Amino acid sequence: MPFLEVEDLSIVFGGLLALHEVNLSVARGTIYSIIGPNGAGKTTLFNCISGIYRPNKGSISFKTRDITGLKPHLTAGRGIARTFQNIELFSHMTTMDNLMLGRHLKMKTGFLSGMALWGRRSKVAREEITNRAKVEEIIDFLDLQSARDQLVGGLPYGRQKIVELGRALAMEPELLLLDEPSAGMNSEEKQDLMIRLKDIQEDLGVTILVIEHDMKLVMDISERILALNYGQVIAEGPPEEVQNHPEVLRAYLGRDEADAGD
Amino acid sequence: MDMKRDYYEDIQLLPSGVIKFWFLVLLAALAGLPFCVGNYYSYMFNYMAVNVLVAIGLNILVGYTGQVSLGHAGFFAIGAYGTTLLMTKAGLPFILALPLSGLIAAAFGFVLGLPALRLEGPYLAIATLGFGLTVTQLLGRLKFFGGHMGLQAPELILFGSLLKTDRHLYYLVMTITVIMTIGARNLIKTRVGRAFIAIRDSDVAAETIGINLTLYKTLAFAISAGYTGIAGGLMVFLVGFINPNSFNLMLSITFLAMVVVGGVGSILGSIMGGVFMSFLNLKLSAIQDLPYLGGLLMTMSEKWFSVSGLPNVANIVFGLILVLIVVFEPSGLYGFWIRAKTYWKTWPF
Amino acid sequence: MTGQLIVSGLAVGSVYALIALAMVIIYKTSEVLNFAQGEMAMLSAFAAYSMLDTYRLPFWASFALALIFAAALGMFLEFCFLRRAKNPNLLGLILITLGFEMILYGLAGWKWGADQKNFSFPVSDTDVIEVSGMIISYLNIWTMGVALAAMLSLWIFFKYTKVGLSMKATQQNHQAARLMGIRTKRILNLTWAISSVVGALAAMFLAPVVTLDPNLMTDPMLKGFASAVLGGMTSLLGAALGGYLLGVIENLFGGLVSLEFKSVVAFLIIVLILCFRPSGLLTRHYVKKV
Repeated sequence: MPFLEVEDLSIVFGGLLALHEVNLSVARGTIYSIIGPNGAGKTTLFNCISGIYRPNKGSISFKTRDITGLKPHLTAGRGIARTFQNIELFSHMTTMDNLMLGRHLKMKTGFLSGMALWGRRSKVAREEITNRAKVEEIIDFLDLQSARDQLVGGLPYGRQKIVELGRALAMEPELLLLDEPSAGMNSEEKQDLMIRLKDIQEDLGVTILVIEHDMKLVMDISERILALNYGQVIAEGPPEEVQNHPEVLRAYLGRDEADAGD
Repeated sequence: MDMKRDYYEDIQLLPSGVIKFWFLVLLAALAGLPFCVGNYYSYMFNYMAVNVLVAIGLNILVGYTGQVSLGHAGFFAIGAYGTTLLMTKAGLPFILALPLSGLIAAAFGFVLGLPALRLEGPYLAIATLGFGLTVTQLLGRLKFFGGHMGLQAPELILFGSLLKTDRHLYYLVMTITVIMTIGARNLIKTRVGRAFIAIRDSDVAAETIGINLTLYKTLAFAISAGYTGIAGGLMVFLVGFINPNSFNLMLSITFLAMVVVGGVGSILGSIMGGVFMSFLNLKLSAIQDLPYLGGLLMTMSEKWFSVSGLPNVANIVFGLILVLIVVFEPSGLYGFWIRAKTYWKTWPF
Repeated sequence: MTGQLIVSGLAVGSVYALIALAMVIIYKTSEVLNFAQGEMAMLSAFAAYSMLDTYRLPFWASFALALIFAAALGMFLEFCFLRRAKNPNLLGLILITLGFEMILYGLAGWKWGADQKNFSFPVSDTDVIEVSGMIISYLNIWTMGVALAAMLSLWIFFKYTKVGLSMKATQQNHQAARLMGIRTKRILNLTWAISSVVGALAAMFLAPVVTLDPNLMTDPMLKGFASAVLGGMTSLLGAALGGYLLGVIENLFGGLVSLEFKSVVAFLIIVLILCFRPSGLLTRHYVKKV
């Protein structure tokens, strides 16, 4: 049974075909990478899955249920979490509050009961406390203790990426969409990230769909890879297969070098 | 380091014994205040409290949710007229009329919030401006609302006793203000308030973590309008008389000025802004009585301006404050306070 | 009856069109919604009144001097305050112009008091001519004529003069314009001057119809915004057409449906347009890329 299934997905922006009949199928519990040059439509694909864009054609189904064109807050409710290429954090809040916001759907407090916070034993306070405990676990898992009470806007870029990952994890998603998680990290941080992604996959049982430029990272972690160029799928399959696919080499190295290499 | 933290501490209103003590002192001081000062000062404190309510309500929308409104005088008017008419025409007691008119204002806020979903900053400003001006116009045109002549405040009877003087009103106004301030503070510290701030900082990210923008933006509008409406309902009894012209665009801007002067996105800032601007407003409304300055302005008026137009100086001062704060001190009085505090703590280092 | 309503609607509409044009000129170049537009125009009308009434200048001299005053006022506000704000956000910009509005309103109130003044305009509001059963006052004819002339000059200015073209370039791309050697700051300053003059024209033709007091422009300002929104906020032609359209719709509503609720029309139009066609009636809508 496919976990995430994208069929014939197409989207047009002002006459420009950003995605053209893209198909992909992700199995539960795997790490699936999407590669491709800049402007290939990778982020657009993410935006379609998470509901920020409504595709012009095609369908997306998640756990056999159709989610095509569902609004972002509803896809979140189905168990899809994501991060962004250019970091979309709540920059005037602390790391803790950012992660607590990841718990939004797991909590129930409405505005009236929120206003009437009657004390330690009130329902609101108890809900806050149990969710705080959950968030503390994630903070420990990602080694974010030192940043816990700092405003995220002031954190270094690499740390912000981790906070964003933490916020997505706080949602306890079944599918995690990561848009260039290693951007701006040094090789040591990349190493840590790789281990964490493996942990998330194995210990938490989360399926991961990742857009990534670092080929070493991609090769090491992915079960399958999809290569996009100009909005079209040029290759799909296990890492070794995609890595040596002539179309992929051409897209990455340019026609002449690829031909010269043959 | 203490690894086991008490998570409740972070959302608790009064986390430590010291703060608890000072809070009780503050409450006691508020309770004892009217006995120490004259009736005029009771009026002044009431006026401040009502404005603090508006500032907090508006800050929930502007400062926390990041939506602009130039129409809050409209909600203030709805609260004022709603309370008055519910009491005089429908014969409801005050204790029902006030919350009900708050609800009516909130309902209007909810409806106005609906287009807000599709509107970005400048367009939202235009739409809310239109709302505020239209409410004033309609109140003036329609006979039901007393037209341009306005309405007289009804007698305020609470639990069988008639509240006549400002000192009587003081306890009513203060109780409501303290409760609603704490309510706003709790709201901001818990789930819904966090969602508001998330929308302000990044609405795309807010949506992808499951926040329903439609629901939360309209909710912010409704809560903000509700606070303002209740403040409007209380104001009726402070001034004793309402007419549509007092709910003009200048009032909406003054409300915004309170929020900005106090500090955008801070409850404490709203309190400071509300108190400061109310004080200024009261002082400026009798500007000719100010020491030194009053005489000077009087001579200026006689020489170059007009004496009858002297109260307009208040508008000039408010406008200048608004512009100068935005240009030079965008974090407002609250930012000032924070900096003074750190300076004090780190002195002499 | 309907024809009459349309004609007087067009007359009012030309005033709305001028205000909308003034707003759009600034919004296009600097993305500032100028909420002080109305009060700037009101103060300029008062300046004309002052020169007529206090200094006994002939009408045309007062009129011209008031326009110069308007230009200077626009340049002053832009130079002294707006330029001083360090990378202000949208809310900051709106608040600054709201602050102007209060200052100017207060100044006018202080100087001229709350009582209404009569603006002695040489063209009468009550002398009328009749064309095929429809009555038009001389003032209305003048208003429409001057508005059209102003629009025509704006069109020529933006299309054929060097300054106008560099203004257009600045609107489209600040950075590129600066690289081409255009002094964008000076252009911006000039934009405020032109916009202020256009607004002042509107106020001076409005003042004789209603009476002159500090509240003169509060309502027309909303109408100006509604017209600008009708035209899509960034199109000069759209703003002008929006003004005429609003004037006619409003008049028809007042005459045929309900006079009491006439003031709701502008607000309703704003809300409806923003909900269903946020880019206005003229301009095409593009999907925004996140």
